[in-house]
Amino acid sequence: MDSSELYHIKQQFTLGAYKSLVDLTLPDPNSPDYNPTLIYKARAYIALDKPSEALKLLPSESENLALKAVSALAKYVEAESAEQGGESILEELRDLCVEIEGDDVEADDREKGLVKVLAGTAFARAGEVEEALETLGAGTHTENLEAVSVIVQIYLSINRPDLATKEFNLAKRWAEDDILLQLIESSIALVTGKDAYSDPHSFYTEQLANPSLSSPHLLTARGVTRLLRGEVSAAKSDLEEATAQLGGAPDKETLAALTVANGLGATKLADAEQCWSQLKSQYPTFPLVKDIERKAAQFDDLASNFEVPPLAVASA
Amino acid sequence: MSVMLTKFESKSNRVKGLAFHPTQPLLAASLHNGSVQLWNYRMGVLVDRFEEHEGPVRGVAIHPSRALLVTGGDDYKIKVWDIRPQNRRCLFTLHGHLDYVRTVQFHHEMPWILSASDDQTIRIWNSTSRNCIAILTGHSHYVMSAQFHPKEDLVVSASQDQTVRVWDISGLRRSTPNTAPGTFDTFDNFSTVKYVLEGHDRGVNFASFHPTLPLIVSAADDRQIKIWRMSENRAWEVDACRGHFNNVSTALFHPKHELIVSCGEDKTVRVWDLTKRSAVQTFRREHDRFWVLAAHPELNLFAAGHDNGLIVFKLERERPAFTMHGDVLYYVRDKYVRSYDINTGSDIGLLSIRKFGSPYVPPRTLSYNPAERAVIVTITSDNGLYELTTLPKDVVGEVKDSSTDGKRGSGQAAIFVARNRFAVLNKTSQLIEVRDMANSVVKTIKPPVVTNEIFYGGTASLILSSTSSVVLYDIQQQKTLAEITTPPVKYVIWSADGSLVALLSKHTITIANKNFSQHTLIHETIRIKSGAWDDSGVFIYSTLNHIKYCLAQGDHGVICTLDNPVYLTRVKGKTVHCLDRSARPRTITIDPTEYRFKLALLRNNHEEMLYIIRTSNLLGQSIIAYLQQKGFPEIALHFVQDKTTRFDLAIECGNLDVALETARAIDRPECWERLAQQALKQGNHKIVEKAYQQTKNFDRLSFLYLATGSTEKLSKMAKIADARGDPMSRFHNALYSGDVLGRIAVLRDVGMHPLAYLTAKTNGLEDIALEILEAAGLTEDDVDDVPSFGTSTLRPPPIITPTADLNWPSISTGESFFERALANGNLEGGSEVPYMNGHDTGVAASSALDEWAKDEEIREDIAADEDGWDLDVGGEEAAAEPEKEELEVEADLGAGANPGISETELWTRNSPFAGDHVAAGSFDTAMQLLNRQFGVVNFANIKPLFVSTYRSSHAYLSPVASLPPLQLHLRRNPEESAPSRILPVTPRTLQSVRSELSEGFRAVSGNKLPEAQVIFRSVLQVLLLVPVSSDSEAKEWRDLVTLAREYLLGVSLELERRHVAQTDPENVKRSLELAAYFTQCQLQPPHLQIALRSAIGVFAKANNHATAAKFARRLLELNPDPKIVAQARQRIAAGDRNPRNAVDIDYDEFTEFDICAASYTPIYKGSPAVRCPYTDAAYLPEFKGKLDSLIQLTEIGASSSGLPAPRS
Repeated sequence: MDSSELYHIKQQFTLGAYKSLVDLTLPDPNSPDYNPTLIYKARAYIALDKPSEALKLLPSESENLALKAVSALAKYVEAESAEQGGESILEELRDLCVEIEGDDVEADDREKGLVKVLAGTAFARAGEVEEALETLGAGTHTENLEAVSVIVQIYLSINRPDLATKEFNLAKRWAEDDILLQLIESSIALVTGKDAYSDPHSFYTEQLANPSLSSPHLLTARGVTRLLRGEVSAAKSDLEEATAQLGGAPDKETLAALTVANGLGATKLADAEQCWSQLKSQYPTFPLVKDIERKAAQFDDLASNFEVPPLAVASA
Repeated sequence: MSVMLTKFESKSNRVKGLAFHPTQPLLAASLHNGSVQLWNYRMGVLVDRFEEHEGPVRGVAIHPSRALLVTGGDDYKIKVWDIRPQNRRCLFTLHGHLDYVRTVQFHHEMPWILSASDDQTIRIWNSTSRNCIAILTGHSHYVMSAQFHPKEDLVVSASQDQTVRVWDISGLRRSTPNTAPGTFDTFDNFSTVKYVLEGHDRGVNFASFHPTLPLIVSAADDRQIKIWRMSENRAWEVDACRGHFNNVSTALFHPKHELIVSCGEDKTVRVWDLTKRSAVQTFRREHDRFWVLAAHPELNLFAAGHDNGLIVFKLERERPAFTMHGDVLYYVRDKYVRSYDINTGSDIGLLSIRKFGSPYVPPRTLSYNPAERAVIVTITSDNGLYELTTLPKDVVGEVKDSSTDGKRGSGQAAIFVARNRFAVLNKTSQLIEVRDMANSVVKTIKPPVVTNEIFYGGTASLILSSTSSVVLYDIQQQKTLAEITTPPVKYVIWSADGSLVALLSKHTITIANKNFSQHTLIHETIRIKSGAWDDSGVFIYSTLNHIKYCLAQGDHGVICTLDNPVYLTRVKGKTVHCLDRSARPRTITIDPTEYRFKLALLRNNHEEMLYIIRTSNLLGQSIIAYLQQKGFPEIALHFVQDKTTRFDLAIECGNLDVALETARAIDRPECWERLAQQALKQGNHKIVEKAYQQTKNFDRLSFLYLATGSTEKLSKMAKIADARGDPMSRFHNALYSGDVLGRIAVLRDVGMHPLAYLTAKTNGLEDIALEILEAAGLTEDDVDDVPSFGTSTLRPPPIITPTADLNWPSISTGESFFERALANGNLEGGSEVPYMNGHDTGVAASSALDEWAKDEEIREDIAADEDGWDLDVGGEEAAAEPEKEELEVEADLGAGANPGISETELWTRNSPFAGDHVAAGSFDTAMQLLNRQFGVVNFANIKPLFVSTYRSSHAYLSPVASLPPLQLHLRRNPEESAPSRILPVTPRTLQSVRSELSEGFRAVSGNKLPEAQVIFRSVLQVLLLVPVSSDSEAKEWRDLVTLAREYLLGVSLELERRHVAQTDPENVKRSLELAAYFTQCQLQPPHLQIALRSAIGVFAKANNHATAAKFARRLLELNPDPKIVAQARQRIAAGDRNPRNAVDIDYDEFTEFDICAASYTPIYKGSPAVRCPYTDAAYLPEFKGKLDSLIQLTEIGASSSGLPAPRS
């Protein structure tokens, strides 16, 4: 059973309150919570795209497999943003995964599960969907909810909400009412649009009212949900509030969502363009940015397929 | 009755007793040798034998509702048997009779058994208590038979004392007597003799009641059959049938007809007319005396036992004469020609044929001529007769009798061969006469073979059936067209379109095409009764006990079982129409799935197959086996859920992906091994590797890595071997990877120092060799007797092609339709039922096939429409992606999951609007759509619009830390989540466009014309991407386009005018023209006022007062401000004063005109013009093919389909 601190940390992590996690002071190094807390903190850094901070935090030489896995993920994310091939790091993670399968490993189940989750995350980032799913044990009834959440998101990203739902239903049997499970459910509904996105909407609204944490991520998430529900102005207010909580500097997702929100309805086109250029310059690797760039290039290609006749002008 | 139709015969010892099972085709026969046989007379097999009696068994009966058999034998015993196969045994034995038991019988409702014995008594037993409950005494000689009355509490008995007695047993029912053993005296109360019938001169062998009438029939040794009548208080002899010339064994009333059937020791079975008491029919056997006769309680079936066995027979053909025409069945029941419409169910008698042929013989065939509305009926009596009669137009009142105008003749077969011709076969003379409707011979044909039967053979042709073949014979040319060798053909059934014909023999079906050039023969062990063609070209036929199907190529199988034979008349979809043996129309619902599936398989109709797979639960081993056997394991793969079967199939068809996926799910070593083998065969070493890994097959894995040259993995294997502490494996890996040191280390570790030493030595590692020596406590000198070996050349082979990372390319197995379709999640046009069946009208039976064809056409049309929208372009591309990897939708959870259909693809599928395609990111199709719909060719201008629309349709969110964010898709109908209805959000709506437009209006009012021009242009661009959802929206959309166009044109005119005024002030004429044209644009009143006022000003300045006045008048019509009114009036006054124009301009306000949007010149009504395919702006013909100058998007004059209809 987790200590209440750890439980709280885990909840914050699940709900994307990474900012408060990185500000966390670590407990006594001898405390049993030390490593888990350290790991969550490091993972929060990674989630905030600050892998170098995470690496600073983590001991460079550790026998702990989970710690190794976290630092591997941090290194991978770092390499990725530096656009260096992370293949060797992936290889490292693969070895870790093999290692935890051994019988004589000094790691408890949670750590083993964590290694899988982290490795799976890295594989998914690398686009190795199949490997990720295999590592995470998709469809194998491993009782590792975090792995399930990753699996579900991978399924969703490859447009397989059916499989995601199956995985979720399996998890529901043993995971009871874990907050992560609710998150998984709401993620699935975000994609399928089940019941007019009522699952994610109520989930995020509920968690926003959760007194034990505050996370702009939740506001962004609800903003996106509201966008999906077609409540554009409500969405905008959420996103603006999230921006305010982030100290006026919206993170990439919030910014992207603002771009979308402003693009809906013709009134705020200038705002949309402004958000867009901000997003483009600040986060050039954000999927939306890349996608749009690709689409723009594609447009030019496609448009050139059509022969443009000379303009009809009256000859004098 | 021409013949007695024998259905079954058995050879055995003398048969003394017979009993039919009431519902199953079972017959119990008790034999003189003590055995009791249970026959299935339909299948012709002996089902069971009961052999416990000693000596002859004379009496046998089957319980009317339970699986019980009772027998009585010469061992004085009555035995009751359970005849269910699983617990067949003698249940109990009733002892009491003191001599042979002659007959036994179950009561129809009470648990009573009746027995007659040579001990001169009749006894009634309670089969529950197994006690004798009554002894009927009175006969003074052997009691030869005793029978319960079918309804009343009566028993009739026959005795050698020459009497027939009727007993009243009602007392038995009223109070069950004391059944304690030993209290025999009480029995007398119930043994009331009601009548004693005297009249026979010798012993009476059998007596029985009529099923409904108060009649008794008795058979006696005086060779007579007597009929007796009973009333309330007396009974008397009615008549006697004389004809048997020896003892009569049994006589029975026919259960349905007014007939008596008897048999006797004169070796005959005879049929008598009950009313006339005259012999109708005699059936003679050479050697066998008949001992017993039994009638089936329900069916027209009799059984007779004789010295050497038994026969089961029926007295008349039960196959009703019938013929189908379209959906109307013409058939004969009870000597009436009737018609039955299978659609409406109306069943009408049309014609009586009672006076045709023998009254006891039903007509054999019926042929219908729709042109003349005539029928030909044939009958077998009188050596074969036919009768041609026209059917009455409407049946009112009493039906017509055929004898009034029927034309008769003799012949064994008669059929219509043309509208006004029919053919008659005379079997004895072997002549076929072709006759006209007046029944006069037109032509006589000598058939080329000995013909037993003739059938319609297609236009002007006959099918002649001989004993060994069928001949297709051309009547006109009088020659044989084709001949097929078959057993004698009894019935011929043509398919609805006349392209196929089924020739039915007793045990074979020959399916042939219409000129007999191709044919297939199907054998049946059971007798074939009838058949009909399904509209899809499957032949459905009935045997004695099954309905079956057969495909033209010969595949056949069972559809369902039948209790009793039926005669199929028509098959429509799931409904089989048929006539039962009493000639009543019936329908049977069948499950056509299996044969439709097989048919679809044969025809490669994948859509149909898919449809079937989806809509029905076509499962089970048989269909899988069928698919495997027919070489389609990959199809079977698609609807097999069972993992093991899937795995087997996948291995069989070499589908490694599925095999891998299922192997994962099963996760058993033998599966992995088989997978490894198969993958090895296909050279897919990655899967081999995976399989070996799963089974921890380290040796093979190492060798595989050696074979693929994967040194890296080999070293990993070495590590693993290290960890496992397996020296042999370590050695292998070291050997494979060429790791000499490793090898030496292993050898040293296991203490094989000599080998280690030599290895080191031969590889030139002197130091290590020395070390080893030292470790072994030796010096060089100690080993100087070891011969020196040369340097080892053992090396792993060099890697030439690094196959470690690549798989051998394998030939693509081609796109499976199923994979694609199943991946798509829904069928194309899923709502359609591809299997159309049975919609033909009465006119042409072939129209069902037309429906098929039409159906296909419709589907093509749909495809064509989609082409119009150009959904395919993107659709195909996008669909192709998942196809390749997609194995099936219901993939088990697991790593092998393949990408599904993205929401954006659904969007493009669900919408014909370019805007939606843009939102989906399918710019390609969006452009195609715009091009088709509006002739857009210049896309460069609307790139920002495309990009922003797409951008606004997708949001990103990462619910899970550090994973790439999920792309979420904004829908315009969030309450909808069905994949077939979701549509993208519309960043620009009609409403937003309207507000943009009003901004434009403001710009116009504020004289910011260049701005206004930009706005209107942008509005027109935006409108291109605005989808509509209803007709009213579509109308609004069109209005907006027109409005924006007019403003854009007007603004452009005015800008041009200003430009002209500035650059070429001399050109007053042009300036005036442009001002005038501006007023012609369809603007809203306030803006029109501006245009008019500007024109007035310009014209007045140019001294064109007349026209200025005209403009002023138009201005007044718009009810402007009073101030403006005043000005206008001034102008009018000026015009009136000076009704002249100083400058002559090209402006004729009296003729309607459009303004060319390129040259800004009028195009008067009637003059040729080309138009912008989007805005409908007019251009002079010379601009055709150019880029339109207003919005600079479209090609002028290009053909276009316009805004697609909204999908509701």
